[in-house]
Amino acid sequence: MSPRLVRLILPAALVGLAACAAPAPPAGSTSEDRSWSQISEQAAGQTVDLWMYGGDRQGNAYVDDVLTPAAAELGVTLRRVPVADTKDAMTRILAERQAGSEDGAVDLVWVNGDNFATGKQADAWRCGWSSQLPNMKFVAPDDALVTQDFGTAVEGCEAPWHKAQFTLVYDSARVAEPPTSMSGVLQWAQDHPGRFTYPAPPDFTGSVFIRQALYSASGGYAQVPAQFDQDAYDELAPDLWKALKDVAPSLWRQGRTYPRDSVALDRLYADGEVDMTMTYGPATLTKLVAEGTFPATTRVLPLDEGTIGNASFLAIPSSAGDAEGAMVVADLALSPEQQALKAAPETWGQFTVLDTDLLSGSDQGRFDDLPASDVVPAYDVLSRNANPELASAWVGPLDEGWRRVVLGAGS
Amino acid sequence: MRRHGPGPDAPRPRRTVVPALLVFWLVIPLTPLLMWATATRWSGVARLPQDFGLHGWQEALDAGVIAALVRSGLLGVAVALIATPLGVMAGRALGWRLLHRSALPSLVLLGPVVLAPFAVAMGLDVVILRLGVPGEIAVVLVLSVFALPYTTFTMRATYLGLDPALEEQARVLGATPGRARRRVTLPAASTGLVTATGLAFLVGWSDYVVTLLIGGGQIVTAPMLIGASAAGSGNDALTSTLAISVSLPPMLALGAFTYAVARRRRAAHS
Repeated sequence: MSPRLVRLILPAALVGLAACAAPAPPAGSTSEDRSWSQISEQAAGQTVDLWMYGGDRQGNAYVDDVLTPAAAELGVTLRRVPVADTKDAMTRILAERQAGSEDGAVDLVWVNGDNFATGKQADAWRCGWSSQLPNMKFVAPDDALVTQDFGTAVEGCEAPWHKAQFTLVYDSARVAEPPTSMSGVLQWAQDHPGRFTYPAPPDFTGSVFIRQALYSASGGYAQVPAQFDQDAYDELAPDLWKALKDVAPSLWRQGRTYPRDSVALDRLYADGEVDMTMTYGPATLTKLVAEGTFPATTRVLPLDEGTIGNASFLAIPSSAGDAEGAMVVADLALSPEQQALKAAPETWGQFTVLDTDLLSGSDQGRFDDLPASDVVPAYDVLSRNANPELASAWVGPLDEGWRRVVLGAGS
Repeated sequence: MRRHGPGPDAPRPRRTVVPALLVFWLVIPLTPLLMWATATRWSGVARLPQDFGLHGWQEALDAGVIAALVRSGLLGVAVALIATPLGVMAGRALGWRLLHRSALPSLVLLGPVVLAPFAVAMGLDVVILRLGVPGEIAVVLVLSVFALPYTTFTMRATYLGLDPALEEQARVLGATPGRARRRVTLPAASTGLVTATGLAFLVGWSDYVVTLLIGGGQIVTAPMLIGASAAGSGNDALTSTLAISVSLPPMLALGAFTYAVARRRRAAHS
């Protein structure tokens, strides 16, 4: 081989490396047998890389301006890695898992649902740690939202961060008699052509609207098995599609098109094109009304049968290089002080995962001091009769079914 | 008799219409970007933003766009430093037909362009992790591979336009092989060299997936900020501002380079 050819082949050979990936031996998940003081001692000086979805500006600002300085006081440097999709973080974690790394670049991930289930299946999470965080004593042990993540048992593999409650929203100046149930909402939409629509799944909010409608069409969440089951889907889905197809011609733009995401729907609502919107994070409504984006007559629309609630979490990959620091950050994020700061609508407006009855008087005060709102009732009111989430395996088939059957059913 | 319809001079209007259409095609998608970058509120129904302001720019600064641009720039420079010399060597061999079978290396070099970066990154990340290559170095190496086809084919075209006899004459006049290349051939190939460097730089400057997955989030570059912001709803002003601040530096550099080349041509003619 001539030296010139070698010069050409060498760089090209780098490409060939791509083919060499092979499975690695399992790393196994660790369970925690160190004391908390040992862990926090080891955490000092560590740099924790928190990979989180970067599309939420308030969330980014909370982590950068509130959580990071608080972590620095504990001797832990928190670095936020913004990703377009949590799946990017999962790709990296699974690669580290496959390579058997022990000094991985992902120390902490904001996660729930499908991604958590994927990681758990691949044994990619460090487990048995979150139940031992000191601040877990403020979380009610029987809180189903915190022990189950979209139908997957948490089992100490992730620490709760905040709660979300699906909420319908209406303008009381334009909706004289607000409906009180999901079927009532769909009926209202038919009676008021062009004044209602919902974001197209797989948008997060559009997707939960479909699941809420599934509960309604099936006669309540108790009728839908939490774990995905093709027979149950085949039995229950036709009623759901019928209900959504019946309402489609009465939707905004005759149901020929749907807002692409919840912000697009919010914009239609803000412009007065529709009379209702919906959100997974109702705490942000107060700010939207105060800023004048939403009309002052905006109100939350409670459903008699309750709405779907879930929680999101912080998880540590089994390959994390700075796991102790990550645990300290997860515990800090769970502290009454941080939870109350984060719950303030002007900061991020995320509902706490703590049970305020378990808090000391002064900590309870932090939550009592949160500004009361004319628009949004307190979380315990919003989450009355809360419906559990379906297992993440339901989400894909429902979103896909909607695309096939309902989309295009408008007139 | 007057002629109607297209006649012999039809190509003349086409000569202005086609470039105009091209410019239109390139500029139109940028217009909403520019408008969003100066808007604070622009609802779906309105033709123009309701409120103008520089919110997007303030948010971009808060999001750390300056540091991210510096990191993108360093990454681009590192990629160019590796991929350009390799591209010069490969392009010289291919352009001057110094190889017997030049089709094979050409094909191999096209590999990185043909393969989706995501697929390559997904396969390579495990290998690189196992080899224990630090993320920052791995990103530069992998992106250099992606940049190689661009530098190689640019330099191949450049060398095709240069006469190898030029270098031989320098040798005859007593220059060493290295000196002949540095002092005679490379100056003659300088336009191609700058183009190749620019292309290699852009590969590093604009990458998202390799920087994130291979780099393990250690280098937060400008495209990562854009990707994260674009994924969220209601971030239109921030996303547009970020997109503009990433496009501007290369466009300015391109403008400066084109101007310099044009000036040199004029100087050479006069």
